[in-house]
Order: sequence, then structure tokens, then C-alpha cells
Amino acid sequence: MRVEYINPFVETAYSILVEVLGGEVKRDNLYLKSTSMPVMGVAALVGLAGDVEGRVLFDMSMETALNIASKMNDEKIDTFDELAKATITELANLITAQAVTKLHELGFKFDLTPPALFTGERMEISDQNVEALIVPMITEQGKIEVNVAIRERM
Amino acid sequence: MKTKQDFPSINERPPDGLKDDGTKVRVLVVDDSIFVAKQIGQILSSEGYEIVATAVDGKEGVDKYKDMFPNVDIVTMDITMPRMDGITALEQIMAFDKNAKVVMISALGKEELVKKALLLGAKNYIVKPLDRKKVLERISSVLK
Repeated sequence: MRVEYINPFVETAYSILVEVLGGEVKRDNLYLKSTSMPVMGVAALVGLAGDVEGRVLFDMSMETALNIASKMNDEKIDTFDELAKATITELANLITAQAVTKLHELGFKFDLTPPALFTGERMEISDQNVEALIVPMITEQGKIEVNVAIRERM
Repeated sequence: MKTKQDFPSINERPPDGLKDDGTKVRVLVVDDSIFVAKQIGQILSSEGYEIVATAVDGKEGVDKYKDMFPNVDIVTMDITMPRMDGITALEQIMAFDKNAKVVMISALGKEELVKKALLLGAKNYIVKPLDRKKVLERISSVLK
């Protein structure tokens, strides 16, 4: 996978997380996965289709998701209710919309699907023939992995 | 004991959300995200506005605007929504009431749609993530 696809997602995830969470955000080392991998408990998935195709996954533990939802709503949220789900979905929307704007400026044309939210224990994701690049972002609310699997349309 | 209300400061700015007659500006919030709708509600309520209704898609937004007419002063309208998008809803509201005050709420990257909305009669737009200052400035500029 070409690195220019992932940079906009990493840069945008960083700036949006700093903006909406208001604390320090650190980027951990990027890594590559080409087989199936476990997801942490709450995953927001956005599909891409056009000149390039694939998906972006924002993966975090339930605890992190609740911490983020609490922070973004300025109130303690203990259960992953409709408001918490809408909050994590909106976070995925904000990051993806801004990243895609950058990719459009670089000349890549494609559309996005609305985010789909997956929750559960022991989930696994497999991408056929697409490597996934993962960038862990460490926030005061916990770790979010930005997991990008994109390829040029064949 | 005397309270602050007994000695109102002549320099105190009235909240943006109050009209000249002291009644609250009435807002209809159209957004499919309960997170965003709640955020808009909190920001505007804190400045004296009254959220008189919310709608989860464009169709419900148009229906509520018509049902409540003329008791909505301003509409915040998301662009991307299921069933009926915000641009179509804007068109229908403007066709019903050419003086409607609609402010679009947009994610980044929807510049073409925002331009279209402004040509169709939207009075202003706000790009997410929503920031209290930005929201209040854009909304009050439409009411002036």
C-alpha cells in the first residue's frame, strides 16, 4: 500500500483527536498486517470506493470508547448507549471527512460509506489481498488504532 | 440580601438567543446524529436560545418546519442524512417560506454542497467539529 494513502488519515486523526479531546495525543509506531487480526471491542468502519478502494477502521477498547464519549459529551457515560454510539460514529466521520478532503486534493477520487459501528468481544477482521497499515494513537482516554487498508482499483 | 439581579450592569451584554422583546429565539435542529444535535442544543441553550424541536432527517425537518410555522426562527440543517438530505430539505423549506433562516452544518470536504446550499438560500454554514464560539457567531450573524 502506498504511504500517501495513509498519511492524510494519520495527520487528520491526530489533529481531530487533539481538537475534540483537548489533551495530549501521541503517535505510536506504525505497523503492517496482512492477515486477519483481532479488533479491540469497538470499531467504526468507513468504506471507500472509487479510484482507490478499501476501508478505514477506528479500533478501540470499550473502556476507551466510553472515556472518549464521556469527554466529547462533557458528562460521564457508563454504558455504550445511543449517545455513545453517535459520538464514536461522529468522531470517525470527522476524521474521515477531513482525510478524504486531503486525498481529493492529491487527485484521488472516491466516495465514502457512512460509518458502521461494530461492538463485541473476540471480533476479528480479515482483508482479502489488501495489507492493512495500523497507526496507534495514544490519547488520555486510551489507545485508538487507525487501521487503513486501501488499494488502487484494479 | 441584594443579588446581582438587583443591580444589573449597564454594560452586560444580553444573551444572543434573546430577541429585542425578551423572548427566546426558537431553533429547529435537523441532524441524524444525536451527538451533534445535543452539542448544538447545549451551545445554543447556554446563550438563551430555545430548541423548540429536533428532527433526525430532512423529511422530518421539512414536516416540522411546516407544522410549526411561523414559530421557528432559525433552522440548523445537517447535509448528509438518510431518507432526505439537507440540501433537498433546504430547497423544500425555502419553497414553503422564502424568508426561512437556515444554517447548514457540514463536515469538511463538502464545499460544493455548501456552495449549492448558499445559492439555494441558506443564510450561513458551520463546519464541524463544532466549536462554541464559531456556532454562536454564525447563528447570531444570521439573526442580525
